[in-house]
Amino acid sequence: MTDVAQHEGTGISVRGLTKTFGTLRAVDDLTFDIRPGRVTGFLGPNGAGKTTTLRMLLGLVRPTAGEALIGGHRYADLPRPLNVVGSALEATGFHPGRSGRDHLRVLAATHGIPDSRVDQLLELVGIPAAARKRAGAYSMGMRQRLGLAAGLLGDPGVLLLDEPANGLDPEGIRWMRGFLRHLAAEEGRTIVVSSHLLAEVEQTVDDVIIIANGRLVRQGTIEELHGEQTVLVRTADAAALAAALERAGLTAQPSPEHGPGALQVEGADGDLARVGDVALAAGQPVHELRALRTDLERMFLELTESPEHRNRNLQETT
Amino acid sequence: MTGLIRSELRKAFTTRIGWGMPLAQFLLAALFVGIAGAFMLFVAVPGPTGGEGAPMGNSLEPTVLARTLYTGGMQVGYLLSLVLGILSMGSEYRHKTLTATFLSAPRRGRVIAAKVVALTIVVVVNGLAHLAGALVTGGALLLAADKAVFPEAGDLLGVLARMLLVFVLWGLMGLGLGVLIPNQVAALFVGVAFAFLIEPLLGVFIGMVDALADVARFFPSQASMAALSLYEGMDSATVEQAGGNPDQLTWWVAALVLLGYAAMMTVVGWVLTQRRDVG
Ligand SMILES: Nc1ncnc2c1ncn2[C@@H]1O[C@H](COP(=O)(O)OP(=O)(O)O)[C@@H](O)[C@H]1O
Ligand SMILES: [Mg+2]
Repeated sequence: MTDVAQHEGTGISVRGLTKTFGTLRAVDDLTFDIRPGRVTGFLGPNGAGKTTTLRMLLGLVRPTAGEALIGGHRYADLPRPLNVVGSALEATGFHPGRSGRDHLRVLAATHGIPDSRVDQLLELVGIPAAARKRAGAYSMGMRQRLGLAAGLLGDPGVLLLDEPANGLDPEGIRWMRGFLRHLAAEEGRTIVVSSHLLAEVEQTVDDVIIIANGRLVRQGTIEELHGEQTVLVRTADAAALAAALERAGLTAQPSPEHGPGALQVEGADGDLARVGDVALAAGQPVHELRALRTDLERMFLELTESPEHRNRNLQETT
Repeated sequence: MTGLIRSELRKAFTTRIGWGMPLAQFLLAALFVGIAGAFMLFVAVPGPTGGEGAPMGNSLEPTVLARTLYTGGMQVGYLLSLVLGILSMGSEYRHKTLTATFLSAPRRGRVIAAKVVALTIVVVVNGLAHLAGALVTGGALLLAADKAVFPEAGDLLGVLARMLLVFVLWGLMGLGLGVLIPNQVAALFVGVAFAFLIEPLLGVFIGMVDALADVARFFPSQASMAALSLYEGMDSATVEQAGGNPDQLTWWVAALVLLGYAAMMTVVGWVLTQRRDVG
């Protein structure tokens, strides 16, 4: 479906981007770069300002300050934007009385894209049968797929997907992951996936940008940010196993919240076999053994749970 | 630009309203012209000078009669045109399709320009359906009453073409109103209430005050009637009996007045569309 050579690798740069709604600083002096040809996770708790940032990038919302450029250009200055950037944003609507196919044909007309391309995309996202029915009758999953098809219409080199897994059932989420991997595998395409759930994008992304309260919190490759993975092990005599693990060069902390005899092991970086071997050598029975969290997961959890980063909307209403 | 216009036309004709509205125009025009025609041709009323009862149509010249009859549904026609204009933008706000629209066409001024062109085409299509309905019942009634069906074709065609123009201008007023009041339901309510009730009533009240009667002639509804030269060739007594103001604007002045309203509303829509955040 793609002319690979066409995607030359377009990057995105955001400089001092700010948006205030009344007194609320929804996006607060954000600066970051998104590298071309990579899959970037744009993460943050609900209300962090992800959607607002993407909307400013796409010229839908006017920044209070700063700028957001795609391949050095403002979105509104792109002569044929759909051929450069495709996007599927949250709260993008469809006319309930118009068929999904006609929705795409309406957009296709602006760029002179033929109906054959529309049908090809409906096939690709797996809704060819529903395409001629009224969009008002579509399930959430079908709407997400139609939104994705709209984003791909112009075969863009940059794809911005805002919470693509939102509202999908497990089957839909699995499909979406596979589809993203398929898109990412096509060389040169820059993909940005926003999410308020780290686990949703963890396996798909190369880079991560984390924001909270409209501000940049962390940015880096997923390897850098992942850091070390903690291992949980549960046994009968925790103290004895802890001693054995320390002798093997690992650190072990009791972790009663994971049940009696639980230890959190650091230094093994998720290597379950190594911890299991130490336990066997020490003659300690293993009741439970699993990878716990990475630094990134721990940080994200703190971010979403610490009160100053919690969704400001929820705070306002509670 | 042609791509944007094609896109807008696809929007207009891929929902039920795209075909339902011309049908409504046809049926309502037929109905209103039918009622007005039946009344004018077959119901005896005392003449302006009193005396023997005769249908009003009998005292009118054939041209004036045909003109009055075929434009009998004009008010519904421009009202529905106003609705079409409101829907052009209102429906984008209501169904949140504006995001997709501006993503495919980020230069918003061009979107508005494309909407103006597409709306003009849509309103003309609807207007033709209206004319068809009006001509079918109006013609049948004239035939039944043994009157000339299409006297002075040139004059009559001119009036009918001007009716299409009036519809288009009302459509453009609706387009601006749909941006001004992004809540589509509210915009429809305000638009219809204003055009159907408030403005005509205000016109009547103001018309009763001599010093202000001149002002009322510039109101959209009175200007619309003037643009069709509706009362031309009628004596003032008959006009007043029909509830009209005999002292109306020349047709082309009236058309310019309507054009002014349409342009003003379009500019309002254009300016607001440039500024507003979408999200
Ligand atoms: N149009 C708007 N008017 C007022 N507040 C808004 C508007 N859009 C977003 N917000 C607020 O800005 C903050 C960031 O929202 P959003 O960008 O949607 O966050 P996210 O996508 O990360 O969940 C939220 O507190 C939200 O309520
Ligand atoms: Mg969001």
